[in-house]
Amino acid sequence: MAWTVLIVDDHPGFRGFARRLLEADGFTVVGEAGDGASALAAVDALEPELVLLDVVLPDTDGFAVADRLAQRADAPAVVLTSSRDAADFGRRLEQTPANGFIHKDDLSGYALVALVGELGDRS
Amino acid sequence: MNRRLLAALTVTAMVVTASAAAMALLLHDFQPYAPAEKVAQVAADGTWILAGLIAWKRRPDNRVGPLMTALGFVDLAHQFYWDAPLPFTIAQVVSFYSLPVAIHLFLAFPSGRLSTRFERRYVAFAYAAVLVFSPVSQLFWDPQGTDCPDCPRNLLLVDPDPDAWSAVSTVGDLLLIGILLTGFVLLVRRVRRATAPTRRAFAPVLLTAALAVVLLGVVIAMDAAGVRTEESAPLWLSDVFFAAVPIAFLVGLLRTRWRRSVVADLVVRLRSAAGPAQLRDAIAQALGDRSLELAFWLPERQHLVDAAGDVYPARATSGRALTMLDRGGRPVAALVHDPSLLDDPGLIEAVGAAASLALENSRLQAELRAQLVEVRASRTRLVNMGDEERRRLERDLHDGAQQRLLGIRIALQLARNRLARGGAVDDLLREADAEVGGALEELRALARGIHPAILTEEGLAAALGALVRRAPVPVELNASAERVPASVEATAYFVAAEALANVVKHARASRVTIDVTRSNGALALDVTDDGVGGADATGSGLRGLRDRVEALDGQFVIDSPQGRGTRVSAAIPCA
Repeated sequence: MAWTVLIVDDHPGFRGFARRLLEADGFTVVGEAGDGASALAAVDALEPELVLLDVVLPDTDGFAVADRLAQRADAPAVVLTSSRDAADFGRRLEQTPANGFIHKDDLSGYALVALVGELGDRS
Repeated sequence: MNRRLLAALTVTAMVVTASAAAMALLLHDFQPYAPAEKVAQVAADGTWILAGLIAWKRRPDNRVGPLMTALGFVDLAHQFYWDAPLPFTIAQVVSFYSLPVAIHLFLAFPSGRLSTRFERRYVAFAYAAVLVFSPVSQLFWDPQGTDCPDCPRNLLLVDPDPDAWSAVSTVGDLLLIGILLTGFVLLVRRVRRATAPTRRAFAPVLLTAALAVVLLGVVIAMDAAGVRTEESAPLWLSDVFFAAVPIAFLVGLLRTRWRRSVVADLVVRLRSAAGPAQLRDAIAQALGDRSLELAFWLPERQHLVDAAGDVYPARATSGRALTMLDRGGRPVAALVHDPSLLDDPGLIEAVGAAASLALENSRLQAELRAQLVEVRASRTRLVNMGDEERRRLERDLHDGAQQRLLGIRIALQLARNRLARGGAVDDLLREADAEVGGALEELRALARGIHPAILTEEGLAAALGALVRRAPVPVELNASAERVPASVEATAYFVAAEALANVVKHARASRVTIDVTRSNGALALDVTDDGVGGADATGSGLRGLRDRVEALDGQFVIDSPQGRGTRVSAAIPCA
């Protein structure tokens, strides 16, 4: 099945590559957003099943956006991503409602399915 | 006061007192007093004059002596009359004239000056009221028609109407009571607020006057009880104490000579005062003001600091007064003290002069501490600035070049997958190439921000040249290629770079000039623009530049008047 994905990252070059990577792995990328505010607006408009969410954003950070998304009735699955290591974020990663974290260097469709599919089984 | 005046006054006093006493003995038949009592009163006036003249001579610039002398003479004029209408009338008119003089004396003692505006107005009012009211009241007093059938005629009498006289004397009594009560309240307030030296001066006066008043109270009580008081011990003693009041004034006044010994004690104590705290204690004790605070003037920074070197607010809080102490015309320290010390400005001046060397020493210590406080703060800021720069570097690396490298890696993966399936990869490679170019450019800028290579290789002038070429505003650069130590070059470069960045960001300038000159073993850098001015010298950027320059013992000055451009100057020593 083809997941619908929203990519949230302030770096347009990276967004472009990530889109093609995920599409090659069978995802349907329904949109891209460059900051937290437009990410929330894009989720409203596009209702993606999965949000790939960069932690460092120009207006806010990925943790705050993940918190907002988790409050929605039809909350999408959220995977945080960053060029920094998971250890750099410490307890914030433990406390976030997001489904998981993936280093940008490890990004692939399979890795996303592994993280989100786990939760899909549980729910 | 010159000798001749003193001699003339003394002779006059002796003649007048002696003749008044003689007259009191010979011509007493119409007087309400017993001859002996009259003589005692005259003698008291003589004492006032004599004590006043001594006070005048010993303290020529203090008004207490003249006031005491005047009090004696004025009161004597009241005693000095005989059985004839003219002297009788004069004596009646001046009978209350000693009152305002006495009030003036009590309130001006021991400094000789009235300290508040209210006191000055009150004393002026007392003089005016008594001077005017005394002759006016005489217009209605008919001695023969009222209480003194044996008295001579009152020459001022115009209307012997007893009702008018009674009305006038009621007004006079009220006026008198008002003046006396106000004077009493002012006196109590003065004594309560007085400093230790003033209290010491007042002590004999208050003691003597209090004893005299208590004894007079005893006499009045005896009178009321029907006991005969004439020639009784309390009455005599009361007279003696009243006569002793002028001597008490003299003693009290001369006691303020203690000021000299206060200063002498201070000088001795200063020998063992090791630091500012002991210095403060010694001065506080000398001035009799335990709450005294001491602050030191830093001429370079134009503000006061406390002994620890922290900034001291230079305003006098309510209920305190601030007096600056000078040494050789330059301000050294400030005393924040009880305002009552201003009653005797000579005291603070004398104490300040005695402590002047110790104050200068403590000032230097405080200056050193202030410098230490500033150096510590600047060191902390430099460390924080270093940390902040590292954080910025980490962010720049992660969010810039690394981001692009990660993208390129994904592009390479995609390309490999497409190639495996025989697809086209041109677009991916083109985009990846653009990202590599972007990453390289970002890394170059980052490295230049950390430390431009050209600065190390070719020196300040070349580095500034490169900086100027990249600047988005026209910049005129005047710098020679001469090399100076690396730390000086780096600091000058960052001052210029930050100043130029500020010009681009805030100044809206059309022209910028960077001048680098060497003079007096220092490298001087000036960045001048013709922009809007009003730069905030306390902002973290400029503050950081100042810290950097001062860390190399340099001087950093910002001149940025609103609307008239900005000039950032740094002078860094380079031997």
